[in-house]
Amino acid sequence: MIQDKIERQVTIRAPKERVYRAITDPKQIVSWFPDAIEGTLGAGDRPILDFGEYGKNQIYVVAADPYVYFAYRWVPGCVDGTTGFKGDVLAVPHTFVEFRLSDHPSGTAVTLTESGFSNLPEAVAKKKFEENSGGWEYMLDRLEKLFAQT
Amino acid sequence: MALAEVFKALGDPIRLEIVQRLSVGESFTIGDVSNDLGVTRQGARKHLQVLVDANMVKLEPKGRDVYVRFETDSLEDAKAFIAEVEKRWDSRLAALRQFVEDNP
Repeated sequence: MIQDKIERQVTIRAPKERVYRAITDPKQIVSWFPDAIEGTLGAGDRPILDFGEYGKNQIYVVAADPYVYFAYRWVPGCVDGTTGFKGDVLAVPHTFVEFRLSDHPSGTAVTLTESGFSNLPEAVAKKKFEENSGGWEYMLDRLEKLFAQT
Repeated sequence: MALAEVFKALGDPIRLEIVQRLSVGESFTIGDVSNDLGVTRQGARKHLQVLVDANMVKLEPKGRDVYVRFETDSLEDAKAFIAEVEKRWDSRLAALRQFVEDNP
């Protein structure tokens, strides 16, 4: 199955439980992600992440499974240069962000994926996509090879 | 428009193959670039047209042949978009690591 997805990873010298709290505790997430948060980060919650000058972004928390998985849907800011969004994220084109935590010899491996870029306004545009035209992940792989050549 | 069209264009294995062939930088005729794609000549022509519509290739008739030229710049937006998303997450994840390791 072809997916439009990016994946990043970081290894943190701390147990999963510690990392999970840093991601899902509203008091802690503001130390590394939004400047402030209104609401909580449980499954089904719709907190507002405040990114200061970049705007407030209301998200939808899909899952919060201690201490291995946290996922939400949002309208990412990187598309049009703004992060501001308020309302029902499920009703508009959005992307899906997932944090996966797993044990690692030096602590915890955090794997971040963001998918659904082909859903975004610019990408849906006016023309209908052909089936399987997303191809983000596949494309990334191929693009890397391509860029290595050119 | 450009970014969406480029993603659409690259979201197909046949078109990716065409782009890869062209990216070597040599000059290809439509015939050259359509060989062994596993699709009919007409099919290949349709795929080429998608690339033309996305401004990723230009068709240049010369004598009896039509040459296909790859517009390298057309990938810049896609590259920049991917790089931007990855860069943002890299810096966020670095901040997460720093916060957790400084506050065990």
